[in-house]
Amino acid sequence: MTPVPRYAHGSRVPGWDTPADLDKDPATIPGRGGSPSVPVPAELRAEIEASMALYPNSHSATLPALQAAQRLHGWCSPEAIEQVACVMGLTPADLAAVATFYDMLETEPVGRHSVYVCTNISCSLSGADALLAAVQEAVSEAADGASEFNVRAFECLGACDIAPMASVDGVYVGPLSLADVPALLDDIRAGRPVLPEKQLAKRACADVEANR
Amino acid sequence: MPRPEPKTITFTIDGLEVQAPENVMLVDAAKHGDVEIPVFCYEPKLGNPVGACRMCLVEIEGIGKLQTGCSTPVKDGMVVHTQTERVKIAQQAVVEFLLINHPLDCPVCDKGGECPLQDITFGWGPGHSRFIEPKRHFVKPLELSPTIAIDRERCILCYRCARFSQEISEDHQLVLLERGAHSYISTFDGHPYVAPFSGNIVELCPVGALTSLPYRFRARPWDVEDAGSVCTLCPSQCNVTLTVRDDRVLRVLARQNDEVDDGWLCDRGRFAYPALGGDERITEPLIRDGGELRPVSWERALEAAASGLKRAGERTGAIAGGQATGEEGFLLARLLREGLGSPHLDSRRAGTLPLELHRALSDPALQAKISDLEFAHSVLVLDADPIEDMPILDLRLRKGVRRHDMKLLEASSEDLPALRELALSLGQHGEDVVILWHERLTAGPNGPAATQALLEIAASLSMSEVPGAGLLEIPAGSNGRGLREAGVLPNAGPGLCELDDAPGRDARGIAEALIAGELAALYLLQSDPLEELPERDLWEQALERASTVVAHASFLTDGLRAHADVVFPSEAYAEKEGTVVHPDGRLQRLRPAVARPGKFGSTLAGWQVLAKVASRLDLDLGVLTGSMASQQLFDAVPFYAGLTLEEIGGRGVRWQERETAVTS
Amino acid sequence: MSDKLLFKDIDEPGLNTLAVYRRRGGYEALRQALQLAPEDVLKQLEASGLRGRGGAGFAMGKKVSFLPKGSMDKYLVCNADESEPGTFKDRELMQKSPHMLLEGIVIASYAAGANRSFIYIRGEYVLQADVLDAALAEAREAGYIGEQILGSEHSLSLVVHRGAGAYICGEETGLLDSLEGKRGNPRLKPPFPANQGLYQGPTLINNVETLSTVPTIMRMGGEEYAKLGVQTSTGTKLVSISGQVRRPGNYEIELGIPSREIIFGLAGGPLEGRQIKCWFPGGSSAPVLTAEDLDVPYDFDSLAKAGSMLGSGAIIVVDDSTPIVELAIKLAKFYRHESCGKCTPCREGTNWTVEMLERIDSGEATPMDLDIMASVQEHIIGNCLCVLGDAMAMPIGSMIAKFRPEFEAHIESARARADLNPAHPAGHTAGHQAGASEQALAAQGAPGA
Repeated sequence: MTPVPRYAHGSRVPGWDTPADLDKDPATIPGRGGSPSVPVPAELRAEIEASMALYPNSHSATLPALQAAQRLHGWCSPEAIEQVACVMGLTPADLAAVATFYDMLETEPVGRHSVYVCTNISCSLSGADALLAAVQEAVSEAADGASEFNVRAFECLGACDIAPMASVDGVYVGPLSLADVPALLDDIRAGRPVLPEKQLAKRACADVEANR
Repeated sequence: MPRPEPKTITFTIDGLEVQAPENVMLVDAAKHGDVEIPVFCYEPKLGNPVGACRMCLVEIEGIGKLQTGCSTPVKDGMVVHTQTERVKIAQQAVVEFLLINHPLDCPVCDKGGECPLQDITFGWGPGHSRFIEPKRHFVKPLELSPTIAIDRERCILCYRCARFSQEISEDHQLVLLERGAHSYISTFDGHPYVAPFSGNIVELCPVGALTSLPYRFRARPWDVEDAGSVCTLCPSQCNVTLTVRDDRVLRVLARQNDEVDDGWLCDRGRFAYPALGGDERITEPLIRDGGELRPVSWERALEAAASGLKRAGERTGAIAGGQATGEEGFLLARLLREGLGSPHLDSRRAGTLPLELHRALSDPALQAKISDLEFAHSVLVLDADPIEDMPILDLRLRKGVRRHDMKLLEASSEDLPALRELALSLGQHGEDVVILWHERLTAGPNGPAATQALLEIAASLSMSEVPGAGLLEIPAGSNGRGLREAGVLPNAGPGLCELDDAPGRDARGIAEALIAGELAALYLLQSDPLEELPERDLWEQALERASTVVAHASFLTDGLRAHADVVFPSEAYAEKEGTVVHPDGRLQRLRPAVARPGKFGSTLAGWQVLAKVASRLDLDLGVLTGSMASQQLFDAVPFYAGLTLEEIGGRGVRWQERETAVTS
Repeated sequence: MSDKLLFKDIDEPGLNTLAVYRRRGGYEALRQALQLAPEDVLKQLEASGLRGRGGAGFAMGKKVSFLPKGSMDKYLVCNADESEPGTFKDRELMQKSPHMLLEGIVIASYAAGANRSFIYIRGEYVLQADVLDAALAEAREAGYIGEQILGSEHSLSLVVHRGAGAYICGEETGLLDSLEGKRGNPRLKPPFPANQGLYQGPTLINNVETLSTVPTIMRMGGEEYAKLGVQTSTGTKLVSISGQVRRPGNYEIELGIPSREIIFGLAGGPLEGRQIKCWFPGGSSAPVLTAEDLDVPYDFDSLAKAGSMLGSGAIIVVDDSTPIVELAIKLAKFYRHESCGKCTPCREGTNWTVEMLERIDSGEATPMDLDIMASVQEHIIGNCLCVLGDAMAMPIGSMIAKFRPEFEAHIESARARADLNPAHPAGHTAGHQAGASEQALAAQGAPGA
């Protein structure tokens, strides 16, 4: 029997092996109970406060708030989380717990444009794994790959009718072939609509009897 | 607020008809039939069950799926099975799942021998594992805080620690990060988990994932002894179990008493114990010799103390500190009054309170108890900061707000009309209001008026009639209430009885009299005025002027180092025998868990020192044992009448709830 | 069936705007409903027999009736998380006919006495959430949502809440925790959301398709609606078909038609030269059925009787080019990734299952491991806090049961391969997969469109 790499699956989770830094102060709510406040960009503060006002309990605004902070900072950095914590009156830990739970909230720095390639069953039955590999390869070979692109295998994106597909900064495109990859990346770089003819938004219902 | 009235129901468990209070969770109800349902995540102290570990699955007739016993309230007529094949398979499955990534490092794990995971594996596990994949391995242990280590390999994700942080201490620092099999307990961005009650998570952890750094590798469960006592580091007087090995305290654990501490401890109470056996402790009697305190024999020290006091005679004053027991205070009062003829003794920091006010405030009908804080309609925190003054109440107040919708307000006695208006508005429809106030309210020029106002508010709110309403005073000293009741007051004897003679001087008066030369000697029972009393400058002068200063102390603090003439080593709470009184009137018993420091057999307890000094002043206090001192105290205080140490037991007794509860 | 209910005007240009929706009769059902007493609206819903379209198939009217009466704050939450793999019907509804959903929400909230509502839409659906927000603004402007709707006593606020990527938030109590701003961990039930849901208040939670059907029911009348479909599965259903079929997409069908008619008739059957190996009738959480089950009527009870479930109404077709082990690994990895981690059997069971499957694939397993794997699935089923664990264990269990010979053959060939080339034990499927994917891509050309 071949030996399984013994620790291969061990430290895949960032954080498991990290101790607390005893020189740091405890992370309490910034700006409350004597702990120092953190500066928050005015627009971010306004956006978070507007979200908080929408709900009977402002705690509900954690996701919109973190999403807003991620748009501003590029990811849910410790700094971003502290800013949200300061505005919402929560501990940064409460927000980190939320941020690490959801796939779309990035807790490591990532490239500017997200390219989620769906690799769930229907898409992989249609070749998503090869598509993902092709996108990853193209990006890793590009000089601007790491800064411009955040390529991720993603769970079912709810567009199995256009499998294999990807979500580019939220825009669904598919079905994609390997040949589409260069154009896809070029469109992203150029800030153009990505693969306009393959966008889900333009697709008619598959049911031929619909619209009756 | 209405408290649940338990109704007894009958249900069947494993074929046995069992009676249990209605609606308690099945795992608790089962205990009434001597049936144990294993649990990991369930811990009633943490609030509502979460049903996460799935260890407590049971079969309930009429319900298809197995149910979690931790979250199913028992109902009349329910038929429960915990021994069927189905249940057994499910229990074994859960144990197998929990163990697949749990390391086999029990031999080097601090939890080994007192580990629920070990016990449950032994009792309910399949006995073998089919998991042949490599287990997870991580760097371990890691520091989570200066006092707590985390071993993430061992964690079974029961969430107890995170729930404590979220729902009990509400510091929200300890959370779950990531998701699914990647989940782990952590803080934000590598910050340490530092909070007033953080140590409780070590005790909550059902595996060896969270361990105490000071206790790590110090002992094994089978070579330690548990000793129950009471922590007297603050007025909270939390009940504790001391882990003792080789006559040293190695760990402090909570000893749950819902009427006192709800099973929690603050970090000071939990982690301060190394000082008990520290080098700083005074282990021998000291007398001042050539300006320096030097160790001497007990005999010489007793002699020196007695002769100094004899010289001063009725020109002696005494201060008893908050950690002294009622017995010590009582004997000190006798020494002063009967032995020296001096009425000048005090244990309060806030100055003399007229006796009638003192008595009015102590009216048993007015006294709220700790659990009232939880169920009251509202609690008004007056001139107090619970986290500083009586930390454990912080958790109780949070519990009241979180679980019973208690209204929590803060106020100060500086603006009495505003206070009155606020307090009365809380109880305008006869609601039960508890006012939690601190001794400092009675201090200063505003003190008498504030005290009067407090009593008037209590009357207006009919506190003596409304069930659950009342006043609860936080005294400045740990056993402030006990010392007052023992008669360590300038204007009252034991049980707040009136004195035959004219009242003596209070603490401040003693200082002034020392400075003026009207008093010559000072007896300090576990008190250093420079540390504990206001007006440090005044006390500097007073101590300077005193011709004799006799002290009982565990540590040489500034005032003693500079001014004491005789110092007797004093026991810390883990070494002490006697009783203390909780701020709500509960007499609690201290039991010695370890020997006093010093040469074994040659050291004296505080009460013994007092008795020996007294005998050298020709006063026979008549105490040969610690329990004789207790008995004297119980006999002297009218409302302790008939009390015995046995009655106090391990849980304590609120004297107001005894039949002899009358103040005069 | 020729008359579509939900897909009637679905591709009408501008249907997402209030003007076009109204031109097509939109918000008339609301007007009609507000003239009835809430109890009478509820009666229509109950009479319709409409069962929840999200996955559990619970009768919607009954769910509404479970909400306590009284003046406390009640909530309506629309579950638009649509995260079950293979399901994409709600996406089409929200994107193209958002007002139908809004109208359904207002009517349902009227019946339930709820005054605050939320649409919890998965964060990935950016376009659809934007469309909903625009529609919401229009509806608010026109007085369909807000205070005293259309002059009635009923008021309703609505917030479109965007998720951030977590399958488990499609579970109703996980969704509630997420909507409260926490990690999307499912809660213990009881208490059920109808009694203690959002912010501990009574809460009605329904799927997009369920709520979008409400205006139709009001228009047709509950009893008339109930005439569609079969006895315990009334009405029409949107079915998302995907996987290895010729015309993947959403189709509106009348419940109770043979499954074959959907897979072959509507979706065109398997790709050229391929046979159906297995199919998931109701999302990836449903136990797989095989070609032998193609004649099972597509309705709640018939599929349950066949050992599977209708679930979210998502059919995924797998043809004979796909090794069952590859499918199982994909599936198990998905559930491992999406397990919230709260309860033991799911967190550890999904992880263990993936590791066993990987071992099978890398030639380090024996047929005995199949027994262990099957037993692990049994240990998960019914023992978890929510249904996610079961959602993996049921299909994996069904695959082992139905394709055991193929699993065993896979174990044998992987072992042989590993023995031959010990340096690269893994990669059997990986290699195969790449090949299959390339074929699939080549076969696909430009499908759909």
